[in-house]
Amino acid sequence: MIQPQTLLNVADNSGARKLMCIRIIGTGNPRYAHIGDVIVAVIKEAVPNMPLERSEVIRAVIVRTCKELKRNNGIIIRYDDNAAVVIDQEGNPKGTRVFGAIPRELRQFNFTKIVSLAPEVL
Amino acid sequence: MMAALRSSFSSIRMQPWTHLGLLRSAFCSSSSSSFGQKGFLDLEEVEKILSDVKADDVRVIPVGDQCEWTDYMVVATGRSAWHVRNIAQALIYKVKQKQKGQERMLLPSIEGHQGGNWIVIDSGRVIVHALEEKARSYYNLESLWTSEASTRVPNQILEYVKGKVQPYKGGNIEIWRKPLSSIVGKTTRKNVSLLNN
Repeated sequence: MIQPQTLLNVADNSGARKLMCIRIIGTGNPRYAHIGDVIVAVIKEAVPNMPLERSEVIRAVIVRTCKELKRNNGIIIRYDDNAAVVIDQEGNPKGTRVFGAIPRELRQFNFTKIVSLAPEVL
Repeated sequence: MMAALRSSFSSIRMQPWTHLGLLRSAFCSSSSSSFGQKGFLDLEEVEKILSDVKADDVRVIPVGDQCEWTDYMVVATGRSAWHVRNIAQALIYKVKQKQKGQERMLLPSIEGHQGGNWIVIDSGRVIVHALEEKARSYYNLESLWTSEASTRVPNQILEYVKGKVQPYKGGNIEIWRKPLSSIVGKTTRKNVSLLNN
């Protein structure tokens, strides 16, 4: 459950470290974002000497949430942190590697690029 | 208790996915049903089409042992965004030809068709990445999925966690590749540093 003002970790090597959600993209003015949703976010903290800087507005896909994700076969996945991957307008990831475990639902939401960069798919 | 948990977890992972692994489970039984065969691309077909559309530097990477969500990755380079889009279109055309006359067509998902820098055609068992030259060297997918990955990826990870997660220094990054079931219960930072020593 990501809503505007939520702070998220960054799960890639794009150079951002902390994001703050400012808008959820989707029809019907969604209140919360879940795994696989695209958000507009501000970079709150960045690694020095990287292309992305603090206070830049970017798009990101949510890849991990503390709110549990339920599957039809009864599995529930709950992560320790809220994390997102920075993407551009076309959906290409800004970073070249994704860190940590990624749920396979992302593949169905058409984020196969992120899934294929990830080290672990749950 | 942890061991019991771990074993139950791994047994869950071994089961074929009923809902979410739809593509994959359809493929496991594809040899018997014509439906699965027609909807997806074979490796040989992909290779033939890629050579027909003159894609450069085609590499087939068997990844079945590294990840469980697909079996083969095919990486191909296009000379321009236009060429990359044509590669994708040729593959889709082939799938449509195969299913001609059927009531419902099953098409692989395409990603990134607008941009043309990096297009992914997700055909279940085979995933085709068509990239422009710049994008290919930027993302460096081959090094991620072949065994030489262990030289390159750790550096990037180390850079990323520098100053934040110290124990990873020393570079035993094997845990990133192992299936989760084998590292559950071991991933505390203390243990990772012990492993390094």
